[in-house]
Amino acid sequence: MDMKRAYYEDIELFKSGTILFWTIVLMVALFTLPLISTNYYLYLFNLIMVHAILAVGLNILVGSTGQISLGHAGFFAIGAYATVLLMTRLGVPFFPAIIIAAFIAAFFGFILGLPALRLEGPYLTIATLAFGLAMMHIIGHTEIFGGRSGLRAPALNIGIPQLGWNLTLTTDLSKYYLVLCFTIFMVWGAINILKTKVGRAFVAIRDSDIAAEVIGINLTIYKTLSFAVSAFYAGIAGGLFAFVLGFFDPITFNMFLSIYFLVMIVVGGLGSIMGSITGAAFITYLMYALFKNVKDVPYVGDFLIAISQRWLSITGMDNLSAIALGLVMIGIMIFEPMGIFGVWIRVKKYWKTWPF
Amino acid sequence: MDFKKMIRVMLVCLFAVCLFASAVQAATERGFDDKEIRIAAWGPQTGPAAPWGAVARGSKLMFDIVNEEGGINGRKIKFFVRDDQYNPSQTVAGVKELVERYGIFAFVGGVGTACCQSVYKMLLENKIIWISPCSGARSFWDPHNPYLWNIWVSYEDDASILAKFAVEKKKYKKIAMLYNNDDFGLDALDAVKYRLSKYKLEPVAALPVEPTERDLSSQVAKLKASGAEAVISFCAPTQAAIALRTSVSQGFRPQWFHSYNLSDYPLMNKITDGLWTKEGVITSSFFIPPFADQPLINKYRAAQKRLAPTERWGIFYQAGIVVAEPLVAAMKKAGKNLSTEAVKKELDSLKNFQGVGPKITWTAKNHKAPKSVQIWQSGPKGEIVLQDWTENEISRH
Repeated sequence: MDMKRAYYEDIELFKSGTILFWTIVLMVALFTLPLISTNYYLYLFNLIMVHAILAVGLNILVGSTGQISLGHAGFFAIGAYATVLLMTRLGVPFFPAIIIAAFIAAFFGFILGLPALRLEGPYLTIATLAFGLAMMHIIGHTEIFGGRSGLRAPALNIGIPQLGWNLTLTTDLSKYYLVLCFTIFMVWGAINILKTKVGRAFVAIRDSDIAAEVIGINLTIYKTLSFAVSAFYAGIAGGLFAFVLGFFDPITFNMFLSIYFLVMIVVGGLGSIMGSITGAAFITYLMYALFKNVKDVPYVGDFLIAISQRWLSITGMDNLSAIALGLVMIGIMIFEPMGIFGVWIRVKKYWKTWPF
Repeated sequence: MDFKKMIRVMLVCLFAVCLFASAVQAATERGFDDKEIRIAAWGPQTGPAAPWGAVARGSKLMFDIVNEEGGINGRKIKFFVRDDQYNPSQTVAGVKELVERYGIFAFVGGVGTACCQSVYKMLLENKIIWISPCSGARSFWDPHNPYLWNIWVSYEDDASILAKFAVEKKKYKKIAMLYNNDDFGLDALDAVKYRLSKYKLEPVAALPVEPTERDLSSQVAKLKASGAEAVISFCAPTQAAIALRTSVSQGFRPQWFHSYNLSDYPLMNKITDGLWTKEGVITSSFFIPPFADQPLINKYRAAQKRLAPTERWGIFYQAGIVVAEPLVAAMKKAGKNLSTEAVKKELDSLKNFQGVGPKITWTAKNHKAPKSVQIWQSGPKGEIVLQDWTENEISRH
């Protein structure tokens, strides 16, 4: 069904008219969504998109190149701190600031990529984990980064104040459009990276790095590049996160965040861009919204509260959401190891041959 | 249908129900109607900081008592608690949702300086009454916020009063300082230096502790070498416990002074295996002693046994009551015609109000926390009050 006859067919952005059509529908939906949404949902969507950018980047590293990182909260933090500090300390306008910040993150990604040339599996995991933790503590220790007391993001002025062009985004709505544009651009970038030479080299390294080297792929360049690209994505996501949240301290970027990022791509589907996005959306929803209003769940709300009060906790409130999050993750791993993207592939196959 | 399929269908159904639940939308209201007043708090109920979540549940007890007594001028209080897991992005999500979906009249408490900071602007813009973040950080009263009232004594005042007590009452000359390397510790260090300079003294040693440090043997050795008779320490419970254990094992037994953050003696005794009481650690506190035989304390403790029997009565739980008391008093005074401005007016004219916390006086221009603390010592039968309410007379704010 997905027969390709020429190389250019394979690298086309939209493989068929149907995909193009649905992409346009999705875009229209995303751009009109705020019309019917409250600030709370816009904030949630902003978080989802920030996480999606990061997940797409992380998936390039983990899903496509076969490396692992438990230190992405570190790159995320670099993006957030660098963007805000460049703007407040040096007066750099927003767009250059976030891009420079992402390059700083990418540089650190490159540095972390160097040990990855020699380390594999659990050893690499520990190296990246140490990076994430170290980042959190270095930031907390340094006065210029606001120390442990944290940093407040300045007003989000996307103009160039030096030239008198000011455009300050204050509402969740305006931030939504900014984050949405970034997300679309970054996802488009990721699709292109994976379809071209670089992406193919990544996949070859994932499948067998020795074989990849034999066919002429420079492991040193591509492994470190994969880390750098992934960190670049995390940097952009971090820069946006700083403004979505408005205030952050080093503890915000703790180890659990790195784990959640990994969970997003595993649950969404490794090696798939759509999987990363759905995974980010799904896990963010579970973390931030699921069961936060247990009382409002129709019919069973009071029953669930009673269960929680009787057996689960003295608070009887929110631990249900943590339990549900854990159960869903375990459930997906047992019943759908390929993640949400795996479900999608099966659904697609089923309908292609329907009704036979 | 095989088992796997059944599980899948069930998962999808569960997810759909949850989606539906979160899509139920109520109009934004001003936080109350003729039947109820909606008040909320956030706090970590799960995760590593969960013990501090007791603050929010303490507030719940206070509002349960008010409801039991018939509510406020005929209106019952509906109290919401959001678990933010000590994560600012979760705090923002929870608070935004509560404000938009239910319309919240007032927030009480709020654990975690970063969590409080992340919602500070939103609450101010929406003109929602907020009674005291559980933090003595300067940024909550400087600059003045017309909708935020502070109860948590500033770290500066706290440290200054402790130092005064050490010099004047205990006659210590050689005082050292152990402090967290963050605003909390640095504010305190500054205040201790300032206070000691009034007696022409200075700390014989001042050693920083990183909030994540777990080995304090080098700090303790330096304290010992300095010959300090007393150590004023501003650090987190874990570090305080480690410092105490290490100093005892090194044979260094000064008089320890700690901030009010560490006045939960049962907890501190638990994590120091009783050393807290054995060494007679002194702390400040701005609460009425939790086990004192005092009418209000007795009333709340009886209510806790009846309404929340599984809770542990202690300082954190009491803190939830302390932040709720002035709000309840102001709402009662505001009368039947409830409005944010009416309650604000009452709070702004609160004078020498005392529940189970400190004596509070606020004015329209001054929402700062009180500047008085008590000095307690950990004794075998609980806290011993060494010095009654004392104000920091050289406070610089």
